[in-house]
Amino acid sequence: MNLHSHPELLDRIAAAYALGTLRGGARRRFEAMARQVPPVRVAALLWQERFAAMTELQAAQVPHANVWKRIENVLEAQSAADTSMAPPSPLAEGWRRALARWRTAALAGSMAALALLGVSVHLAGEVRRGEVQLARAEGERATLARSNAQITAQLQARPEIQYVAVLNDDRSSASMLVTFDPNRNTLTVKRIGAYQAAPDRSLQLWALPTGANPQSLGVLGDGAVMRLAAARDQVVPAPTLAVTLEPRGGVTGGPTGPILFKGPLLQAP
Amino acid sequence: MSRSPEDKRLIELMDRVAADDRRRADAQAALRELYELTSPRLYGLALRVVRNREWAEDVLQETYLNIWRIAGDYRASLSPPLAWMGVVVRSRALDFLRRRATERADSALELDNAMSDALPGDSADPMDVSEASEQAWALHECLRKLEARQREVVSLAYLRDLSHGELAAQLKLPLGTVKTWIRRGIDQLRACMARFA
Repeated sequence: MNLHSHPELLDRIAAAYALGTLRGGARRRFEAMARQVPPVRVAALLWQERFAAMTELQAAQVPHANVWKRIENVLEAQSAADTSMAPPSPLAEGWRRALARWRTAALAGSMAALALLGVSVHLAGEVRRGEVQLARAEGERATLARSNAQITAQLQARPEIQYVAVLNDDRSSASMLVTFDPNRNTLTVKRIGAYQAAPDRSLQLWALPTGANPQSLGVLGDGAVMRLAAARDQVVPAPTLAVTLEPRGGVTGGPTGPILFKGPLLQAP
Repeated sequence: MSRSPEDKRLIELMDRVAADDRRRADAQAALRELYELTSPRLYGLALRVVRNREWAEDVLQETYLNIWRIAGDYRASLSPPLAWMGVVVRSRALDFLRRRATERADSALELDNAMSDALPGDSADPMDVSEASEQAWALHECLRKLEARQREVVSLAYLRDLSHGELAAQLKLPLGTVKTWIRRGIDQLRACMARFA
C-alpha cells in the first residue's frame, strides 16, 4: 500500500513505530518502507524525536556517591592502559577514526538508535546505508578487525555529506532534502513531498546568505532527485536555503515568486 | 534552533569531553561536571526503566562511560542534549535488562518492592519539566491531557520498549484495555503534537 499518500495513516503508524508498539511483520514492513520512501522515513524520525523527549520528563533521584567513583576508576584504568602503549602511528590514528565512524554507523543500525544521530545524519543516510549494512554484517566488534582494511577503504570512498537541509512548507511538513558534498561541489536535492509545479512554472533553489541578496543555486527539474553543481562558498556561508516558485526555466537576479519551502542548512560533524 | 543557557552549557561540556586533541584531565573534568549536572535526572530515568537501584547505578555508570566514548556524535544530532543523553540511558538500560533476562529467567522476582507499578490516580502527574527542553515541554503538555492511567501505559511502552502483551502482563490489565488505551493515547498525542510541530 502506498502509505505516504495516506498522511493520517502514515502518521498513526509512524507514531506506533516510534513508541515501540508496532511489532512483528508490520514493524518490519514499515522499516523496509522507511528505508525506501523518504516521507515515511521523515515521519518515523519525527516521532522518534518526539518520544525521545520522554526521557527528559522522569522525576530526578540522586544516585549513590560511589557511582562517580566507579566511573573515575574505569577511566583511570583505561588511561593507565593507554599510556603504557606506544604513541599512535598515523595508521593507528586512521583506524581509530574509522572505528569511531563505524561505531556511529553501528549505532545507526536500528531505526531507534538513528534518533541519536539526529535528523541531519539520517537524511544523509542514503549514502551511509552501505556503511550501516556493513557494520551490521560485522556484528560483534571482535570480528571487526578482519575487515578493517575493507571498511576503511569504503569509508574513504563514500561522499562526504557535511551539510544537510530539510526544507519545509508553511505547515512545517518536510518537502525537500538537500545535501551538499563540498568535496565534489555537488548539491543533491530530493523531493519528499507531493508538490508539483504547474507546467508553466519551475522551482528554483536559493541560498539566503546573511546580509546579502539571495543567490540562485539552480532550477529544479521534475525528477525525484536532482544534482546541481555548486561551489562551497556559494552554499556554506548561507544559514538558510529556500525554494521559490518562478516562471518556467527560472529567473536571473533575485527571486520573483513566493517561497514554497525553506529550512536551515546544518553542518554534520 | 534556540538553545537555553543550560543546554549551551551541556553542549560545551560534551564538546570538551569529545575534543579531538583532548587533554585527558580537561576531558575528565568536563565529564565530571556533566555528571554533576545531569546524573539525578538520568538516574531517575534509569530507575524508571529497570526498577532496581543497584541495576540503575550500573546503567548510569555504563551511560557516562558510553558518553565518554561517543560525546563527539552529539553534534550530528538535532536533539536537545538532555534528550540525547536520555536516549543513551534508555538503550543502555534496555540492553541491561536483555542481558539479565538471558542470564536468569527469574529476574522479575528481583524488582524493588518500593517500585512496583501501581497505576497512578487521576490527579497524579509525576512528570518533571523543571529542566526540560522546549520539545520535552511540548510532549509534557500533550501527555498531561491524557488520562493518568493512559499516560502511564504510553510512557512505559516507550521507556521500557514493551509490547501490548508485555504491558498487559506488567500492569495486570486486560490485553484489550491496553490496546485501546495505546490507540487512543497515540491519536490524542497526534492531534496535540501537531500544534507544536
